[in-house]
Amino acid sequence: MIDLVWLIPLLPFIGFLINGLGRNVLPKPLIGTIASLAVIGSFAISLSIFLTFDAAQPQVIHLFDWINVGSLSIPFAFQIDQLSIMMLLIITGIGSLIHIYSAGYMSHDTGFGKFFAYLNLFVFFMLLLVMGSNYVIMFIGWEGVGLCSYLLIGFWYSNGAYADAAKKAFIMNRIGDLGFLLGVFLIISTFGSVSFTEIFPKAAGMVSGDATLILITILLFIGATGKSAQLPLFTWLPDAMAGPTPVSALIHAATMVTAGIYMIARSNILFALSPVTLDIIAVIGLLTAVVAAFIALTQTDIKKVLAYSTVSQLGYMFLGLGVGAFTGAFFHVLTHAFFKALLFLGAGSVIHAMSNEQDMRNMGGLRKKLPITFLTMLIGTIAIAGLPPFAGFFSKDEILAHVYEHNKLLWIIGLFGAFLTAAYMFRMMFLTFWGNFRGTEDQKHHLHESPVSMTFPLIVLAILSIVGGFMGVPHALGGHHWLNEYLSPVLAATNNILPALSLDHATEYMLMGISVGGVIISIIIAYVKYVSKGYVPKEEELQSGISKLSYNKLYLDELYTAIIQKPLDALSAFFFKVVDKSGIDGLVNGLGKVSIEASKTLRLLQTGNVGFYIFAMVIGIVAVLVYSFIII
Amino acid sequence: MSTLIVISILAIVVLYLGLFKAKQALLPISVLGLVAALALAIMEWNSNAAPIFSGMMHFDNFAVAFSSICIITTILVFLLSKNYFEKISDNVAEYYTLILFALSGIIVMVSYHNLSMLFVGLEIMSVSLYILAGIKRKDFASNEAALKYFLMGAFSTGFLLFGIALIYGASKSFDLAVIAQYVIDRPTGIDPIFYVGLVLMIVGLCFKVGAAPFHFWTPDVYEGAPTLITAFMSTVVKIAGFAAFLRLFSICFAPLQDFWMPTLLVITILTLFVGNITALYQTNFKRMLAFSSISHAGYMLFAIVALGAASTNAIFIYAAAYAVSSITAFAVLMLVKAKTGSENFEDFNGLAKSNPFLAFALTVAMLSFAGIPLTAGFIGKFFVFNAALAQYHTWLVAIAVVNAIIGVFYYFKVIVAMYFKDNQTKQIATPAYFNFVLGVSLIITLVLGIYPSFITNLF
Amino acid sequence: MSAPVDYLPIIMQLLVALGFVALTMGITHLIGPKRKTTDVKLTAFESGIEVIGNARQPFSIKYFVVAILFVLFDVEVIFMYPWAVNFREFGLNGLIEMFIFMGTLLLGFIYVIKKKALEWD
Repeated sequence: MIDLVWLIPLLPFIGFLINGLGRNVLPKPLIGTIASLAVIGSFAISLSIFLTFDAAQPQVIHLFDWINVGSLSIPFAFQIDQLSIMMLLIITGIGSLIHIYSAGYMSHDTGFGKFFAYLNLFVFFMLLLVMGSNYVIMFIGWEGVGLCSYLLIGFWYSNGAYADAAKKAFIMNRIGDLGFLLGVFLIISTFGSVSFTEIFPKAAGMVSGDATLILITILLFIGATGKSAQLPLFTWLPDAMAGPTPVSALIHAATMVTAGIYMIARSNILFALSPVTLDIIAVIGLLTAVVAAFIALTQTDIKKVLAYSTVSQLGYMFLGLGVGAFTGAFFHVLTHAFFKALLFLGAGSVIHAMSNEQDMRNMGGLRKKLPITFLTMLIGTIAIAGLPPFAGFFSKDEILAHVYEHNKLLWIIGLFGAFLTAAYMFRMMFLTFWGNFRGTEDQKHHLHESPVSMTFPLIVLAILSIVGGFMGVPHALGGHHWLNEYLSPVLAATNNILPALSLDHATEYMLMGISVGGVIISIIIAYVKYVSKGYVPKEEELQSGISKLSYNKLYLDELYTAIIQKPLDALSAFFFKVVDKSGIDGLVNGLGKVSIEASKTLRLLQTGNVGFYIFAMVIGIVAVLVYSFIII
Repeated sequence: MSTLIVISILAIVVLYLGLFKAKQALLPISVLGLVAALALAIMEWNSNAAPIFSGMMHFDNFAVAFSSICIITTILVFLLSKNYFEKISDNVAEYYTLILFALSGIIVMVSYHNLSMLFVGLEIMSVSLYILAGIKRKDFASNEAALKYFLMGAFSTGFLLFGIALIYGASKSFDLAVIAQYVIDRPTGIDPIFYVGLVLMIVGLCFKVGAAPFHFWTPDVYEGAPTLITAFMSTVVKIAGFAAFLRLFSICFAPLQDFWMPTLLVITILTLFVGNITALYQTNFKRMLAFSSISHAGYMLFAIVALGAASTNAIFIYAAAYAVSSITAFAVLMLVKAKTGSENFEDFNGLAKSNPFLAFALTVAMLSFAGIPLTAGFIGKFFVFNAALAQYHTWLVAIAVVNAIIGVFYYFKVIVAMYFKDNQTKQIATPAYFNFVLGVSLIITLVLGIYPSFITNLF
Repeated sequence: MSAPVDYLPIIMQLLVALGFVALTMGITHLIGPKRKTTDVKLTAFESGIEVIGNARQPFSIKYFVVAILFVLFDVEVIFMYPWAVNFREFGLNGLIEMFIFMGTLLLGFIYVIKKKALEWD
């Protein structure tokens, strides 16, 4: 079966080609079927590989030699091991569900064919990212998903703000990619190779805290902050909600944003040997988790709440990586993929029913009208809040247990963030599904449960959100943590370096108790405020006090504009206006304006112009001579 | 060698065809002649040719590779010229002839083995270009471009010549092999005028490739010259400039790297920033391409700064990627300009709806310029950066990557205009020749991006 | 690198170049004859008739074309002198090469005639 691995990315790519070329010719049902079948096919192959794979060593499937230059050889090859298999299952599995869902969700859209072409292309690049056997193939996937995300965020491009959001996402991502690319170059010059199977054994022999390793890992982490929306590069993700909702679910919740975590988990040995980087990751992750949770508390757009919650959950994953809980972080990737995809698709279903209304202040009381959506979303919310035995409980508690052992202060802050999570998620549920309907009569008339193609994925994901956690039941609760054992070949070298969790069961019970108790209290507070008192946030209240700070996203966008964009614009404007326009053209045009009036001698203008050019050149030559002979 | 003869004769034949009113035959004969020249060039691959004409020229693999890429690009430019020159001038045959003469100069520039031949080749090319830039006789911008180019070109050629003279004065020879031997024989105690000559040659060559601070002519000349000539200048001429630059430095001056490297390093960084940052603010697509060509010159200078075994390969691949993308960009620009009459970014609005193929080809070209993976541009940047890293210029690479990201801003402006902005324009009719050129460029860009192995190991 | 003293020749050259210009300008000024001039003396002499307009008039571009062509062919002929001197050493090859050279020149000449560059009207 493993020989067929090349089919996994190829199928979506074929789907992309068919849909891309035939988007105006093929009928809509056929397009949807082709696109979905392509991803389902990949899922089937992934599943069979998952069931048959039992090698302890990663299997590298060499396709062809891609770049050969000097001693550096970069093959186009795929690497199959436990880590990539888990990612494959997530991408193709959730991808399939979202394709099916989209067939219903996008059925009224004129760009139906284009949408599925992009979606297939995205899956293709994402698969390249996780299957690549070296950093360069990974980088291709990395850039490719960024590109597809850009195309999909700007899918409804007739709205100018959406197109801007797309550009913002791409450019923020590119800033992160800068780090990743430099990291890869540094890896090449350090290890002389880019293949995982060659780098990691070499790295394992290095000393912990090696300066080069620290630099490499920091650069890689910068790449991860861009793609996985961490401080300070996270602001693109909430804006990315401009895309169609299935896109938000697939790309901006379940798959692409986890690429950074996958990359760090893949390079675990490099990070395990760089304790400094790990500490940085932990702090950044924690800050992101709490800041995003704080912002989510006052957002009124249902998708924005989910977006910030995604940023916050990603923060938890990084926190987990930072304290060395690689399995825990990856576990959270899996469970988060289930419940966050579910929540986004549920939100999509709500938006669909509300005729594209996204503001929660205009919703309310929807639980009777949309029973399936309501129930499934409730499951998702409980899962993300972390109540047992739903999926989020196990993964989040595993991370927090590691954090507790690592540093108590980090744990307290993290725990606080977890309470905030429960609060804002239930706030969203209460505002949307409880109380009275606050929309227009027209919307009320239109309210309907979504078609089967949309509710079916919701139900599947809801089941996964309930049972997904059981793959990692801790020993304290009588489980044997199947995921930990499954991933152990990938993490073997790291586990030799980083200490395993050594909490006794009593402490673990206490930790679980505290977090579950706090979560329940948060939910009750939210219930009292939003259901019993029927509170609905109003614009002017959001603009006062601490809510103002939260509602305006801590003014981070404005901050970035002030400290990055403005100077860059100013510099560019300076070059354009002063050097190009005022300096050269200005001089000339000034001369020209006067002389055109007086005489028609354009000759004067040109000699003046070239004179300046030559003058500048002479200055340049003098500078070069001085620099060559005197300074050096 | 026979390539040079074929191209020179071809130029005269085409001139006479124009004289005897055989206008229909101009394009087919030019293209066929160039294909023949290309075939002759490729046949000399790996023939281990010795220097010919008393050591004046040396048609080695380096020369074959760069001749081929220049000839292929010229063929693409010619294919775009169907019905183009007729519109702007009566003297169509002269266009073809001058381009062919420029190309023969370029062949000399990539295969010289003697500094006097470098100068002769450079002048054959430059003089042809001065005329080509001003060939729209009634157009002020074109006249201005020609005059500026001529004055500044002559000025910089003076420096180049002065440099050659000083190097001759020190080493007593024009021959590259002798100069190289002169450098090797004297680990210390090279005549100081040799160094001065070296710096002056850097100045002259930097002008020809449009590196800052000697780039001032580029935007004005590129904007003023007829678009097709701009396409020729920014691709073939630039590649030839780099080939000549690299040939000189790798054969003669490699042992003196410690001396010239810091200077060139500063020039490279300056070029990158000036090109990219100024391009950021342009609203005119053609002017943007001019500034972007400055920044690409910066990337190619990289490989010379980090002169080593991999440099030739790196520049070759970068040049190939850059050439095909530029041709695509200029081809689409010509079509758009013919339709709307101007060449601003807004003119590309809604192109994806009216002409999906044009928009797609231009998108791939822009992605390649920006260095996105799976396009040729990424491979080019990868090789150039890798060459630089092999010499431990880590900071240089960091600066370059920052610049590559700035580049994304303005390259994406076009993509955004084409895909995300609406405009009720009618479809632009694309001639078959254009579709052919765009298709070929597209295929080359993607094939090089996905499977570069077949040209990465040429050297 | 090299000691500063090695750059002495360059400085010398620079000084000589600058010095020559300054010196000649100064000396001509000093030793040249000095005359008192008036405006009348500076006007062009036109057989005692009042001067009409400036002597620096634009003249036809045709002069320019002819002049350029003259220089062009004139310069090419220079190549024949060294060739003629070494005629015997070059042998048959030299003869063929010169024929090619002259042939190319002839082609250019025919082109000039066909383009009517030498016709005045």
